[in-house]
Amino acid sequence: MEEKFIFSGKYKFVSLLLILTGLIAVVAGFFVYHDHGSRFWANFLMNTTYFNAIALCGVVFIAVHMLGNSGWQVSIQRVPEAMSMFLPVSGFLMLVILAGLWFNFHHLYHWAHPDPHDTILELKKGYLNIPFFSIRTIIYIAGWIIFARILRKISVLQDNNNDLKYFKKSTVYAALFIVFFAITSSTSAWDWLMSIDAHWYSTMYGWYIFSGLFVSGTAVIILLVLFLKGAGYMKHVNKEHLHDLGKYLFGFSIFWTYLWFSQYLLIWYGNIPEETAYYVPRLDEYRNLFFINLGVNFIFPFLALMTRNSKRQPWILAMVSVVAFIGHWIDYYLIVMPGTMGAEAGIGFFEIGMTLGYIGMFLFVVFWGLTKASLVPENHPYYKESMEYHTQY
Amino acid sequence: MYVSPVREPLIKGGKNYSKVTEDITRPILTKPGKLWFFGITISSIAAVIGLIAMFITVRDGIGRWGVNRTIGWGWGITNLVWWIGIGHAGTFISAILLLFRQKWRTSINRSAEAMTIFAVMCAGVFPLLHMGRLPLAYFIFPYPNTRGLWVNFNSPLLWDVFAISTYFLVSLLFWYTGLIPDIATMRDKIKNKFIKPIYSFLSFGWKGSARHWSRHESMSLILAGLAAPLVLSVHSIVSMDFATSVIPGWHTTIFPPYFVSGAIFSGFAMVLTLMIVARKAMNIEQYITVGHIESMNKIIIATGSIVGIAYITELFMAWYSGNIYERFAFYNRAFGPYWWAYWIMMTCNVITPQLFWFRKLRRNVVFTFVVSIFINIGMWFERFVIIVTSLHRDFLPSSWSMYKPTLIEVAIFTGTLGIFFTLFFLFIRIFPVVAMAEVKGILKTSGEKTKH
Amino acid sequence: MNTPYISAWFDDDEKLLSGLKVFKEKGIKIADVLTPFPVHGIDKVLGYRRSWIARVGFIGGVLGAASALVFQAWVFTKSYPLNIGGKPFFALPSFIPVTFELTVLFAAFAMVFAFLIRSKLGPGAKTEIYDERITDDRFVVLVDINENHSEENIKKISAQMAEAGAMDIKIKLTENK
Repeated sequence: MEEKFIFSGKYKFVSLLLILTGLIAVVAGFFVYHDHGSRFWANFLMNTTYFNAIALCGVVFIAVHMLGNSGWQVSIQRVPEAMSMFLPVSGFLMLVILAGLWFNFHHLYHWAHPDPHDTILELKKGYLNIPFFSIRTIIYIAGWIIFARILRKISVLQDNNNDLKYFKKSTVYAALFIVFFAITSSTSAWDWLMSIDAHWYSTMYGWYIFSGLFVSGTAVIILLVLFLKGAGYMKHVNKEHLHDLGKYLFGFSIFWTYLWFSQYLLIWYGNIPEETAYYVPRLDEYRNLFFINLGVNFIFPFLALMTRNSKRQPWILAMVSVVAFIGHWIDYYLIVMPGTMGAEAGIGFFEIGMTLGYIGMFLFVVFWGLTKASLVPENHPYYKESMEYHTQY
Repeated sequence: MYVSPVREPLIKGGKNYSKVTEDITRPILTKPGKLWFFGITISSIAAVIGLIAMFITVRDGIGRWGVNRTIGWGWGITNLVWWIGIGHAGTFISAILLLFRQKWRTSINRSAEAMTIFAVMCAGVFPLLHMGRLPLAYFIFPYPNTRGLWVNFNSPLLWDVFAISTYFLVSLLFWYTGLIPDIATMRDKIKNKFIKPIYSFLSFGWKGSARHWSRHESMSLILAGLAAPLVLSVHSIVSMDFATSVIPGWHTTIFPPYFVSGAIFSGFAMVLTLMIVARKAMNIEQYITVGHIESMNKIIIATGSIVGIAYITELFMAWYSGNIYERFAFYNRAFGPYWWAYWIMMTCNVITPQLFWFRKLRRNVVFTFVVSIFINIGMWFERFVIIVTSLHRDFLPSSWSMYKPTLIEVAIFTGTLGIFFTLFFLFIRIFPVVAMAEVKGILKTSGEKTKH
Repeated sequence: MNTPYISAWFDDDEKLLSGLKVFKEKGIKIADVLTPFPVHGIDKVLGYRRSWIARVGFIGGVLGAASALVFQAWVFTKSYPLNIGGKPFFALPSFIPVTFELTVLFAAFAMVFAFLIRSKLGPGAKTEIYDERITDDRFVVLVDINENHSEENIKKISAQMAEAGAMDIKIKLTENK
């Protein structure tokens, strides 16, 4: 039962329109803002890392379920696979930031040109220097892309051959990827995000970023699955699958909150200025967003998805997923802006326009990716399990 | 519900429902073998030694321990964290694996939950003893008194009181409510007219009514949903005993999830230690199969790797911070006077679980048993290293000191091991070690007889 | 007063479910079904609605959270405010751990008590053992014939039950309560 997604003219039009919106925002910003491009670069970094995380979550989702010997996700597997195809795009955009670093186009990372009297940055020089940073960035991007392609290839090969050998191989690659990801998710968070506030550090940081990655990625998976169902595809996806995706959204939102709170509580409690300096501007200039972040990423998903029924209703799942997507965008805003734009940050047509542009790029690539294989991996050994699937509770 | 034939059967031997009842109730209905008597004798002796040492501590005071300036916490608190950590695997298996629909949990959840309850009881011994004036222990609870005093809600030590009490009580509830249908099975199987009324009383009048089952499932699911965050919160709060301080090696934001992973890691090791012996001695290898052991080993390698990554993160951040005290704290751990403890910890916790990447080793029962012991030793040393190395050398070199446990402290720890195993030995004689009703529930889809 | 009822058993959960469906079609009144483990799908066949004990749990949790927060706040702002390490009197981050734990504790106890009370189970509760093998491997169905316990009706129902695969169809009397 092959089911092919058709990347129709309508979808192409919408995604291209969104991309155009982004470009208009960028060009407009060039003329309106006279800040040597700081606002542009800050948004560029924020959106690139955010969408990169979402794309990466696609690979993580697949790998983790392969390792857990799980069967239900086979029914929706093509969606995270398609999401992972955005990695080359976000990777390329990250390389643009890297180039900007080398050629001094932006001042996102203060450690790149440290004040000679800055003893703290002096001590970090061995790690925070442009060449080493560049090598690491390239390793992350290359590694993630290579693994994404391998896992996708095995999945498609499995589809076309009834041989179990691909299924067995997949766990090996999934394991290798997970180890690589476990290390690089933290180190990339330190490099790309934490080093914005280079005087500060937190051992929790890498895991905190990971938790957000999983929530926002799951939210996007849900939205894509619901979109496909709405367009008449993936009829085999039933309430049970949606329920499970909803459980992830619920559970990992709570997990994100737990990590957020742990980091905050420990720094608040210790009250050490080197550490609290991170939260001071966030509670000062970004105060409203700070609390909105918590409300939208914790309280709302917690209350909205608590009951069993809520996780089985497509419209509730869709609503919470949209809110989670926006909520974690706000989280990234709070991560990137205070250290780059400081008090000059804002949320206006520029920010929204640029983000719409990224959404357009993402959708274009994902839709294209969905056409590349049958939406239903019918030769997967867990395929039947995934179709005749009934959660008892 | 359909189960792919690619999956390994969870119950071997072509069992039917009555065979399950027979196999699991047999150890309770028959006389125990020599091994059981031998085991419980040893553990009881250890327990008595421990009780004597505890009595001496209460009578003479904490001076009987090796703790002093500046190392106010030594073996006592190391043991507290170690025991509580072990308990977390039980709740993980009962609650979190239930939420993830992992059917293989049904053979081990009953014993794992019992293990949790006994482990938390052993853990509770230490905060009580280390208070010194045990008769005033009730001070830790907020009750109206003539002094107008309340407890310090700002203190993580108090958060511990609530966390550990809640954890103990909820685990007890979860364990017991799950046990009720199986106690009913015991009630109906036992002929002895003195023992039958006891089981009858404990069975709470369970009769297997479909309506009751329906509510029972609903309740179990929600208890699982409540217990799951407890797994995260309790050990996080325990970690905050250290992380809310300001000393290097203690004050670090990663502690909560790092401690939780470590807890699940050591807990699963203890479950394996217990189950590998129990399955052989009680002839339940067909219920706790090599597949179960492999699944547990996968969790060990996952949580062990997380712990390993946390170690590396801490090491890196200590350097990255540029803070000389932070950098020294970690240098001191590896090369200071307690270097031997640090390297035991690293070998046992980081290297040994990585061996489980190899399928052959994951499915080797003897190897698993040996590794499980190493992991528990390693995790004990992890807590010891964290607590003692940060306390014995912090900011002022003139305050640096050393810590050595006294015989009393060692005896108390041995005693808790004795108490733990004694309780477990008693448990396997009184209650069904495997959750019969749950295993029967998956027999059709996951038992060996079914071939599609 | 001893009321008669019919009891029968099945030896397999699938047979039980299909048998129950037949019973329902034939209009046989099912008083209770007793099984050694929860049979999935049985709620739908018997028309049971979802239990509301979950809501009791939720209310318990809310109560726990509210009491914990209010109590801690009262202790530290009204009753005996203390300066602990320079923290504000209303130290919300500090109050969260205890609040969370009490939420879980109250919710868990509320749920378990609701379950026990609603199902009339408890230490030493008296129960009628319809068949000692229910907790072993038998799936027992109890049919209500209170309305019409004439000979011919009993015969008719018994025949229908036997056709649906029920075994060992017996007429029994409920024990004196």
